Amino acid sequence: MNISDNIFDVIVVGGGHAGIEAVLAAERMGCSVMLITAKYSRIGEMSCNPAIGGIAKGTLVREIDSLDGSMGKAADATRLHFRMLNRRKGPAVWGPRVQSDAAAYSLFQRKNLAKKGICIIQDEVTALEGHTEKPEGIRCRKNGVIYGRTVVLAVGTFLRGRLFRGQSKWRGGRIGDIAADNLEEDIRRRLFHVERFKTGTPARIVRASVDTSDLSIQESEKIDFRFSLDRSDLPIKHEICYLAKTNRNTMMAAKEYLHLSPLLAGRIDGIGPRYCPSYEDKVVKFPEREQHNIYVEPMGHRSRMFYLNGLSSSLPEEAQEKMVRTLPGFKKAVIADYGYAVEYSFIHYTEITDALRLRRTENVFVAGQMCGTSGYEEAAAQGLLAGANAARVVKGVQQLTPSRSNSYLGVMIDDIVSKGTDEPYRLFSSRAENRLYIRQDNADRRLYEFGRSLGVLSERKLLQLEVNINEAAEIEKILKKSIIDGCKAVLWCRRPGAEAERLVELIPMLSSFSRDTIFSVILDEKYSGYIKRSMKRDESRRRASSVNLSNITSYMEINEICWEAREMLEKAKPHTLADAEKIPGIRPTDLEGLLLYLAGKRSTWNSSI
Amino acid sequence: MRIKVSPEIICAPATPEGYSALAVIRVSGKGSFDLIERIMSLKTGRLRGTRRKLGIISENGEVIDEVIAFSWPAGRSYTGEEMVEITCHGVPEIVRRIMDVLLRHGAEKADKGEFTRRAFMSGKLNAIQIMALASIWNEGRETGNISGRFNRECEEFIVLIEKAKELLEGDIEFGESHLDSERTVIIKELSSLLKASEILVQRAGSIEAGQKVFLMGPFNSGKSTLFNILTGGKALVSDIPGTTRDGTRRNIEIRGRKIILCDTAGTGGKGLDLQASKAVLDEILEFDKVVWLSQDGKEKPPEELSRKSPEILEVASKCDLNPDSKQTFGDHSEIRKLSSVTGEGIPLIEEWISTSPGNMSLAGAVDRIVKHILKAEEFVIGDEFGIASEHLNEAEREIRSVLGKGENLTLSVERALSSMCVGK
Ligand SMILES: Cc1cc2nc3c(=O)[nH]c(=O)nc-3n(C[C@H](O)[C@H](O)[C@H](O)COP(=O)(O)OP(=O)(O)OC[C@H]3O[C@@H](n4cnc5c(N)ncnc54)[C@H](O)[C@@H]3O)c2cc1C
Repeated sequence: MNISDNIFDVIVVGGGHAGIEAVLAAERMGCSVMLITAKYSRIGEMSCNPAIGGIAKGTLVREIDSLDGSMGKAADATRLHFRMLNRRKGPAVWGPRVQSDAAAYSLFQRKNLAKKGICIIQDEVTALEGHTEKPEGIRCRKNGVIYGRTVVLAVGTFLRGRLFRGQSKWRGGRIGDIAADNLEEDIRRRLFHVERFKTGTPARIVRASVDTSDLSIQESEKIDFRFSLDRSDLPIKHEICYLAKTNRNTMMAAKEYLHLSPLLAGRIDGIGPRYCPSYEDKVVKFPEREQHNIYVEPMGHRSRMFYLNGLSSSLPEEAQEKMVRTLPGFKKAVIADYGYAVEYSFIHYTEITDALRLRRTENVFVAGQMCGTSGYEEAAAQGLLAGANAARVVKGVQQLTPSRSNSYLGVMIDDIVSKGTDEPYRLFSSRAENRLYIRQDNADRRLYEFGRSLGVLSERKLLQLEVNINEAAEIEKILKKSIIDGCKAVLWCRRPGAEAERLVELIPMLSSFSRDTIFSVILDEKYSGYIKRSMKRDESRRRASSVNLSNITSYMEINEICWEAREMLEKAKPHTLADAEKIPGIRPTDLEGLLLYLAGKRSTWNSSI
Repeated sequence: MRIKVSPEIICAPATPEGYSALAVIRVSGKGSFDLIERIMSLKTGRLRGTRRKLGIISENGEVIDEVIAFSWPAGRSYTGEEMVEITCHGVPEIVRRIMDVLLRHGAEKADKGEFTRRAFMSGKLNAIQIMALASIWNEGRETGNISGRFNRECEEFIVLIEKAKELLEGDIEFGESHLDSERTVIIKELSSLLKASEILVQRAGSIEAGQKVFLMGPFNSGKSTLFNILTGGKALVSDIPGTTRDGTRRNIEIRGRKIILCDTAGTGGKGLDLQASKAVLDEILEFDKVVWLSQDGKEKPPEELSRKSPEILEVASKCDLNPDSKQTFGDHSEIRKLSSVTGEGIPLIEEWISTSPGNMSLAGAVDRIVKHILKAEEFVIGDEFGIASEHLNEAEREIRSVLGKGENLTLSVERALSSMCVGK
């Protein structure tokens, strides 16, 4: 069969974390799918840190799992080390995080795709094919045109990717990979607004060359945690992580070479993430701080390499070597791969709808790092949503987006498509207004309804979720009726340290239920007062933003707002206050002025009070 | 499985605190009829529909008050829900005790503006109407600024809250990347926040409880006469200049608002008189009010006074003595005219005195801020950073609403709602 004779329902470009979830989601929804990626062997590659999860990110992985995505399963199956971050800061902000075996992770995903029978082609996509409003497919370097009803672009850091280390600069989306120059050109030619970001990665060190006896040890937590509701067996292998601290000499070494930094010497224009700065950034920004924590993490169980979390650098090789060797235990360290920085293009948020479709097209979706975010988890979650919405276009049904009031996925999508970002966007728990509700323990219950209406859940996942939901409802019912120490059981839940096992002792009727679900219900009770309040605020916020503006005929005479804003509003003619808020450049004070103006016109409805 | 915003029964006094002939307590939400029937010992169903029923509310067998309940069925009331208005006698103690009974029977105290919020939810009012309502209710209040120092102190306080929030949030998101625990640092920051809040407590307390209204002006300009009219009392009045040298003060209530009315020695005197008027100038704080009287409005308030920036109302007194003054000052809107003999201008002065800024219950807001900070501290120590952060956010929201500034526009309606008195 010749692939160009076929028309696929959904073509996914890019086999990174976003692309994998996109193609799997569309496949689950019954579409004929095709994955095109530049290098088969690097599918599901962890370009940077060999870890999945963290604060907010770990919760996002659980949401992906509740939408039947694959990331949680892959992370469980390949984990070497586990920690619940923020363990001592309250379950509302817990962040499950695993160290994965990077090679095993990629292998797991390749097998996973093969098991689902997904058609994969190794090729470089150079352009969209056809009119921008409704492309007919994509054009590849070797395979020519491949036709598809919809396309999901998930090409990560590859759009005109440029790699930097010291004085050298070369093409590539990642070390050892191509740069998608043609595709970027095509995107620009179609007048999509793109901008540049940068990010970087630290050196990988030969494990045998490090004397770990000088380092403090970080053991894996031995608890029975899984990201996925599948609860499949965990690998028996464990790895130990280490902690090293930088010192004065590390700083001096970096300082000596600062003038050769591609970033500081002005050769990279792209903006990098503030929360994940290179070591040289830290030296410049916190000159008084000599000590920074560097986590030493094995890249895999059989891997001969360590990853140096916290020592990202794009200084010349010589400098990196000097810096690394100042760390205790690293005196004779051998660097296997040097750190580098990558600069790449991403699509400006104004081009993207909340279903992750390119606004000016009917059928092209985007996901992952190319939407201006960073991180595997963020990419995977977007991929899932983009793939599912592409499938919905094929089916001719409405595209959907989750609400920001009950998932990190919703928070992230809303943030990136309505506010944009001036540095690679990463999910933080504080970005959610409903943080005490959007927790890692209740992702199943939160996402169930959205997953079902999106149509992305397999029978099996549907069943898993329903079991949990019913269980939680049962537990809640019992809890509401029970009394502990003469007090309502729900009040007991608010006590510090209330946990499942203890509750089962007090209410033996609960002993048949899953401890995880019991704990989750305890937390619902514990935080219920706060959750209720924030839901209320949410509601009024929603109501406020639905204030209708369509009766305003001209903005130019509204004295309550400034000139620039009047012009912008006049041009955009927003329907509601929420629309107005989304116009770039409109400030809160302008909106308040607008409300004032509207309130001032009360004579027109005064009689109706 | 989803957490619902439960439609509980809410209640709140709808009339201002203080003594009055009657007071009204509003109750709204599904089940209100049953609840009121129960506490008034009425037969079930008596309030179903648009009704009016006389009854007694008692507590442990002791009668609190005889009241009238007005009821409206869902769809026909202000909130769109089942609603009852209890009219009782306007004694604060009675209102408080009836509220207690309601709360004990399962009603919840309404948030600010909650009745209107419900009207909004049930589609009885739209957002714009609410904004406008808020601006009607707040007219003359928001303009009466709690200017100057207090404003600045609030702004500084916001900066401090933000600093604490930054530390806390930083520790939640990145705590793992710098292992040295920041907990102690956060707690220290919260303690200094608490310390800083003391000044707000003080200020708010004095703004609210002890707001003073000074009657000032040159000798013999009619201050004491006005004082007597306003207090209904008997200060020593005579036509001899300098009679009220020591100043006289009285706690009074004007239109439901408590103030301290101070009569002062006339300005422009010598010796003792001069000392007395200096002392008054020292005492005046920026949130106090001054009624400046001068015959026919001829004399302007001294600059020292204006510099302190209290609110000043200029009054042309004794206008009955000079019928022509009507023309002379007729179009000068800043100057109100007063005649103690004919009573002209008295209602206006009373109104000015009784509005702004204390109506927004500053002390209440500041009190809540302090509580939130204490809670934040408690929850940092108790290993619940997420909850601690909620409390800091609440504290920030609260102080911003004191300042009438929002951090986010979409919260405007929210703010409009919360700027209303409870019970509206
Ligand atoms: C050097 C470096 C440093 C990083 N540092 C960080 C960090 O500090 N923090 C952080 O959170 N994240 C970091 N990341 C980002 C992290 O790797 C990404 O967020 C994540 O992998 C994004 O997933 P994705 O699916 O969007 O893209 P990727 O994982 O990058 O996958 C893109 C896929 O698209 C394929 N592809 C690209 N172009 C084409 C084409 N034209 N035709 C066919 N296939 C194509 C590629 O082969 C690849 O498989 C870094 C990445 C790199 C490269």
